[in-house]
Amino acid sequence: MHAVKTILKKELADHFSSYRFMILFALIAMVSLITVYMAGINLKQELEGVAKPRFVFLMLFTSRGAMFSLVEFVAFFGPLIGLILGFDTINRERNEGTLSKLLSQPIYRDDVINGKFLAGMVTITVMLISIVLVITGLGLSLLGVIPGIEELLRIIIYLIISIIYVSFWLGAAILFSILFRSVATSALAALAAWIFFSFFVSLGASVMAGAITPDAGASDPAALIARAKITKAIALSSPMELYSDSAATIIDPMRKTNRSFVQMGVIERFSMARFSGPLPLSQSILVVAPYIISLIAITVICFAISYTVFMRQEIRSF
Amino acid sequence: MSGIKPGHRYALIFALVSLGLIFTQGPFFAYAQNEDVKEKRPQRLIVMAAEYPGVEVGVDEDVRMDLIFHNRGRTDENVDVWIAEKPDGWKAKIKTYRYVVTGAHIPSGDDKTLSFEAEPDNVVQPGKYKFRVEAQTQDGRFKMNQNISVTVKEKEEDTKKEKGVKLTTSYPVLQGPSDAKFEFSVEVDSKLDEDAVFDLFAQGPQGWETNFKPAYEQKYISSVRLKANQSQTIALEVKPQFMATAGEYPVNIRVSSSDAKAEAQFTVILTGTYDMEVGTPDGLLSMNARQGKPANVSFYVKNIGSAALNDIEFLSFKPENWKVELKPEKIPAIEPGDLKQVEAIITPYEEALVGDYSVTFKIDGQKVSKGMEYRVTVKASSAWGWIGIGIIVFVIAGLTGLFRWLGRR
Repeated sequence: MHAVKTILKKELADHFSSYRFMILFALIAMVSLITVYMAGINLKQELEGVAKPRFVFLMLFTSRGAMFSLVEFVAFFGPLIGLILGFDTINRERNEGTLSKLLSQPIYRDDVINGKFLAGMVTITVMLISIVLVITGLGLSLLGVIPGIEELLRIIIYLIISIIYVSFWLGAAILFSILFRSVATSALAALAAWIFFSFFVSLGASVMAGAITPDAGASDPAALIARAKITKAIALSSPMELYSDSAATIIDPMRKTNRSFVQMGVIERFSMARFSGPLPLSQSILVVAPYIISLIAITVICFAISYTVFMRQEIRSF
Repeated sequence: MSGIKPGHRYALIFALVSLGLIFTQGPFFAYAQNEDVKEKRPQRLIVMAAEYPGVEVGVDEDVRMDLIFHNRGRTDENVDVWIAEKPDGWKAKIKTYRYVVTGAHIPSGDDKTLSFEAEPDNVVQPGKYKFRVEAQTQDGRFKMNQNISVTVKEKEEDTKKEKGVKLTTSYPVLQGPSDAKFEFSVEVDSKLDEDAVFDLFAQGPQGWETNFKPAYEQKYISSVRLKANQSQTIALEVKPQFMATAGEYPVNIRVSSSDAKAEAQFTVILTGTYDMEVGTPDGLLSMNARQGKPANVSFYVKNIGSAALNDIEFLSFKPENWKVELKPEKIPAIEPGDLKQVEAIITPYEEALVGDYSVTFKIDGQKVSKGMEYRVTVKASSAWGWIGIGIIVFVIAGLTGLFRWLGRR
């Protein structure tokens, strides 16, 4: 355990002093702040006539300012933090020959990978917490609304989910850095994976679903529902889809389902509109529990794979 | 005549002459009066008359009538009046509204009415009685007399019975809903010869409220004082019992004094009211349910009207694909005041979204219907939460196993 701590400290010191981290953090913080500021200005105008707005604070995260909301921004570009922090973790040390030097010290091999992964996670946590705190402060001064307990709890859960999500990409980047000897290759592989899961899966899902259900249309609602279900099922293979769905449900209490397409009768809609209240937090969590669990599971599994691969690799041959 | 003194003789002659003058001039005077009442009235003329010179009364009844004086002359007159003759056993007097009168002033051209009263004592037998009233001007110029004959008749038994008090009403039967107030108007007609206090009793069905009121007055009375031979209208207010069922109800009243008594019966027809109350025993109108899982709820239907409710049916207004089952599906009848419990089993749609839904029951009891809205909160099944925790525990256990297996190399 002692060795893990040592490596963790060393890695953290490396991260926080590197220009890479500085530039990345500045970029992310700037974009988030601009996004939230725009959202706040918009909110202020929209809520002027509303008698008793609810969950105003959470709207900061979900409402779109210029192009996208904060939740969407983190879903798309959060992975970059994990990727940039992790794409050269192992192979750079290996290429520079420091890995065998490190392992000649009284340090176990698993301490190295655990320490490096934990250091990445801590960095991500610090980054995300500081961004959310800055946003909260900005929101306080911009909207003049104090978030309630439930809003705070929702923000905290959102933060945890975001950390897990970014950690997944960190784990994936570490896996690539273990698998590929060349830093450039692992960086490219990580980027490719990111682009694939973030952009192509959702596109591919609708293409696939369209191919499977060619006769769907307004005249055939059953096929339309089938198409929506297939699209969703394929899209869910992307961690980004898992993350954006769970984050949106946690942040937005009015969101009652993950389904993109809900068939609802007239009376059912009327019956629901009769008491159109927000969901309690526990219900929101239960609604997206499968997604959050999947997210945690793939993160752990991804790390477990990189751990296994790293532990069984030949190192001294270099 | 021979005994008359010479001075007196002259006076007598004068009197005869003047009498003769009056008698010969009389028709002329009368004629003149017809011609022009004001201008051609005689200097003095006064007449007395009784209103009813002959009357017939029952035993023990008083006689009361007007005695009228007409002054047709041009001078005001003062007249003395007295009862010259009355039978034994009678008390008779002449009076005004206030005094017993022995004289009266009758202005010129005016009439004066005095009242003649005769009261028999208890021993007066049926028969014919004669009264004689005399009057004269104070200077003795005019003397008038009037006979009044009173025939006293034996009363028959029937008329005796009827004497006392009589109750009459125009509307003996009233109809209305159970929560209305009924007001009967009763005329109490006293046939007694003297003032009397009548006690008023009313007897309605158990639990009903009955009160007597003077007509058009808002106060309750329990007795009424009536003068002899007078009648008065009083009102009987009947308030049915709160839960009185529909039907016909008799209300008896009795009016009695020490020597008279009368009874009457009224009928109130209640049409009954239709009302019901629906609710849950604990007043809670919200419930939790899970997708696809039946949830029980019970409510009651209570008849708070006063007529029975028949064929009560239930309708439920629910989202599509939901199932609502009611046990029983129909209630044949609920008696007033009774309470029936209904069990509802609500099954939300398998794919219902979590959140609050409105499920409304309509309880239709032919004459009256009530609605009740339930707020059904569909909750997410927590099964996934447990499965998830299981998966995470499994994954972490796997990772730990991996650490054990591959670690410490």
